[in-house]
Amino acid sequence: MVEHDGLMRVFWPTDVVKFDRPGVVVGWRNSNLDVFVVAVLDDVDARDVEFHIKHGTFFRSSPHTPSHAFELCGHSSMHVLGISNPTDPSAMNPSWLCAVPSSSRRSPRITCAKASSVQLIMYNRPRPKGMQYISLDPIALALDYEGSDTRHPKTVGPDSAEEKQEKQAHEQRQKLVEKLKQHTIVKRVPSARDKALAKIVNQVNWSWELEQTLQKNVGRLGPRPKRSLSVSQQVVESAATMRNYVLQQLLEIFTLYLFPTIRQIFVSLLTLHRLVAEAFLVLLEFRIKPGRPALKDVSATAQQIEIRLQQFCYWPMQYVKLRERKSNWASINTSHPDYIRFYNSLWLVANDVIIGLALGSYIIDHADFVASAVEGLLKTYTVDALQSSILWLTGWPAGLKLNDELAAFLGDLFLWVIDYWASKYLTRLRDKLLTMAIDCVETLGPFLPKIVWFIGFSSFAGASMPIAMVSDMLSALTVHIYSFYLASARIYHWQLVILQSLFHLFRGKKHNVLRNRIDSCDYDLDQLLVGTILFTLLFFLLPTVVVFYLNFAVARMIIISLKAVFDTMLSCLNHFPLFALMLRLKDPRRLPGGIRFELRDTLVATSATGTVTEPPTSVIYLKSVPLSFTAMFNQYFQMAHRIRKHYLSPSVLLCLLTGRFVPPIDRRNLYSLQYSMLPAKRATVGEMWKALKVEKKTPNATQYPVLPKLPTLPGRRMGRTRSGL
Amino acid sequence: MLTTTPRLYTRRPSPTTAEFTVTTLPPPTIPLRILRVLLLALRVALVLLTALALHARWLSSPYAQPSLPSTCPTGDGWFSMEAVWYALDTLHKSSLGQLVGGLVENVPLVVLLPAAAALCYLLALRVHTTESLLVMRGLGVQTSSSPATYLASATSRFIPTEKIRDIFVNEAFRGFEVRYYLIVVVEGEENVVVVFPRLLPRRSIVETVWRGARACLYESRGGDTTEEKG
Repeated sequence: MVEHDGLMRVFWPTDVVKFDRPGVVVGWRNSNLDVFVVAVLDDVDARDVEFHIKHGTFFRSSPHTPSHAFELCGHSSMHVLGISNPTDPSAMNPSWLCAVPSSSRRSPRITCAKASSVQLIMYNRPRPKGMQYISLDPIALALDYEGSDTRHPKTVGPDSAEEKQEKQAHEQRQKLVEKLKQHTIVKRVPSARDKALAKIVNQVNWSWELEQTLQKNVGRLGPRPKRSLSVSQQVVESAATMRNYVLQQLLEIFTLYLFPTIRQIFVSLLTLHRLVAEAFLVLLEFRIKPGRPALKDVSATAQQIEIRLQQFCYWPMQYVKLRERKSNWASINTSHPDYIRFYNSLWLVANDVIIGLALGSYIIDHADFVASAVEGLLKTYTVDALQSSILWLTGWPAGLKLNDELAAFLGDLFLWVIDYWASKYLTRLRDKLLTMAIDCVETLGPFLPKIVWFIGFSSFAGASMPIAMVSDMLSALTVHIYSFYLASARIYHWQLVILQSLFHLFRGKKHNVLRNRIDSCDYDLDQLLVGTILFTLLFFLLPTVVVFYLNFAVARMIIISLKAVFDTMLSCLNHFPLFALMLRLKDPRRLPGGIRFELRDTLVATSATGTVTEPPTSVIYLKSVPLSFTAMFNQYFQMAHRIRKHYLSPSVLLCLLTGRFVPPIDRRNLYSLQYSMLPAKRATVGEMWKALKVEKKTPNATQYPVLPKLPTLPGRRMGRTRSGL
Repeated sequence: MLTTTPRLYTRRPSPTTAEFTVTTLPPPTIPLRILRVLLLALRVALVLLTALALHARWLSSPYAQPSLPSTCPTGDGWFSMEAVWYALDTLHKSSLGQLVGGLVENVPLVVLLPAAAALCYLLALRVHTTESLLVMRGLGVQTSSSPATYLASATSRFIPTEKIRDIFVNEAFRGFEVRYYLIVVVEGEENVVVVFPRLLPRRSIVETVWRGARACLYESRGGDTTEEKG
């Protein structure tokens, strides 16, 4: 009586190794010879167990309905799978398995009349109370991996060319894979056993709780207890009842009168806070025209404020979602990533504030010193260094014989602007930010301690705040370098373009714009003469312009890389997977990254003494693979990749060489990381209010047992439930 | 001598489960074992020597605590921290310690620290590479590969049967030679999974594994055991 390939697959929990009494093996029968063992119930009759499983006796006293478990595990009820330590093996149902504990090995011996070979897969039960679980796919720490792409479908600038290239490569690969698939001759239809894997993963996740329920209720099947309670036990019991009653009353007063009031106040405060946050968010996201950047796209500070506000808006919703977890079986693991995200962001904000407190108190205590240091730095690097480098360039730098007159003209021009920037001031506006943008270094001098004090004070809202402000201040205070860069790049670019067209003229050709090609052209003698003279002139003036351009381009690149450093610090403070890292060290089974199998060496069963001959068995251990560190930092790798693609690409180098403008990377693009932790669309005020209201009702609905609970004494309980049946 | 050309060994406790392991580890013999133990001892000694050099450099810096206990602890003080410090001190004062200290004294930290880290990494590298393919009917296949160093753990990848489109032997140019390799085509993925990617064993081994894996993974229907694609 062997089924087609006679392979029996048995999933067996590793904690069930010693079962000396005759018992019943209970679990799921996924297909005929594919069984999943949940529990071994000792000293019961198989038919009895089957009857009670069918009638749901085991789940009668469980706090939640078992339908969730049955739905996820893919069956309408559990099954009796076989007998352990059978007294009479011949009397068994032929499809039942027979399990005997083995003294030499860690795994039991499995035999079945229908099976010719056995795959015994040992699994560890994940503890659902400790939020452990296994999964086939790695746990997703980010909200959705594709979120950044779907939200900003179009990217502008030189990225588009690279993306096109990437897409082309992708398509090419798809074609290759398609071709590879054509090699397959026989398309195999997966059997029921192959398809069961997803179901089995759920069954593994549920097995701990189900086993607990089964073992707790197995006493109901047993015989009635013979003995009634002794006098002392009765005294103890009534005393315990009294204590429980008093406690229950106290709890009731608290839950019925005090708690709702506190809760109401808290919910109103939250909603008020949400309204204020909404106003700020609208302000930050306001765009003058649809295509124009909003405030948050321009300024790092605004972006930082926006992220914090978004987080504050998201937390209540997240918390409500996490509370729902408590009111169901612990084995449902859909909200575990949410849990990790929620506490990660809470922890990061707390960390941020702690670091910010230290930083802020230092800055405030030493405001004068910090201000003078900042002023010194500003003066040294953005004024003096620039001036000296321009002076150096005007006087034959490194032995290069530049054109004296042009060098002197350009040098004077830039020096004059720097002078103006450094010593005079344009307007004195009350608004600090605007002042910084327009004002100049020396006017800033007296204000600097106040600004520094303000930044220090802002850092009580988290260390990310002063960093964002410093980043903004850096771009505001180096506006002159930016404008020099723009001006010199423009001059350089013009000159290059003119030189190119004059070169064509020199050769007797010209660029045909209409057909985008080089045509021959008959120039007059005077045209050729003037053109050639101009070409020579411009060509000899080119080195002078180049050195000035290079000077400012290098300064600009330094500023961009400084800002990149600030951005990296910000993203570390805002989105470091701290909680996940801690979990990885503390309990790796809470961060499943897939599964792995291990084939164990099995000693060839020399069952000279055994009554049952064992079919060939392979013992496999099913283990959970913890999430790899690279997967944890996947978002960071993506961001690094994006930055590298933007700034270290050949097209950017070409832009730099020809003096065209190098566009800064889009903030939205850079900060896709930030949004991976937040939903694309935040919940409105009304939705939040509703969610909080609903949550208010759920605990009340379950907390109305007026009768005091009796203490659980095993004998008594069994008697009562038995009579209740 | 420590490694061989990749060789195959198979574990197959039941007809539906098999593990094919390709390894460069030669079959264990007594001289080989002795050699491996010696190699391990050499590695440990070199790591300790690196640590000693770093400590000597630390002692020569102005931040170090100048006083080390130079009295030999007696009795049950042998397992205390003081005994360790004393042993370190005597080690530093020995000719070997003097030599190492003299060597690293004038090396700048910028060079010394990366050099020490690189040395430790080199010493942690494994000599042998082991890669395996575990085939389980009804579940799927799993490729795993031993890590490059002793510090990391093995990496593995499990592919459920449902997702396996096909397993076959392919060929490719690598340098000036043609290599045959086993690949698993996975449903819905644009990269194929190469089995034994680092060792890329000889064709005979690949063919054996391919036949074994197919026989193990699918129920035999006859007629599909001789096909091969290039």
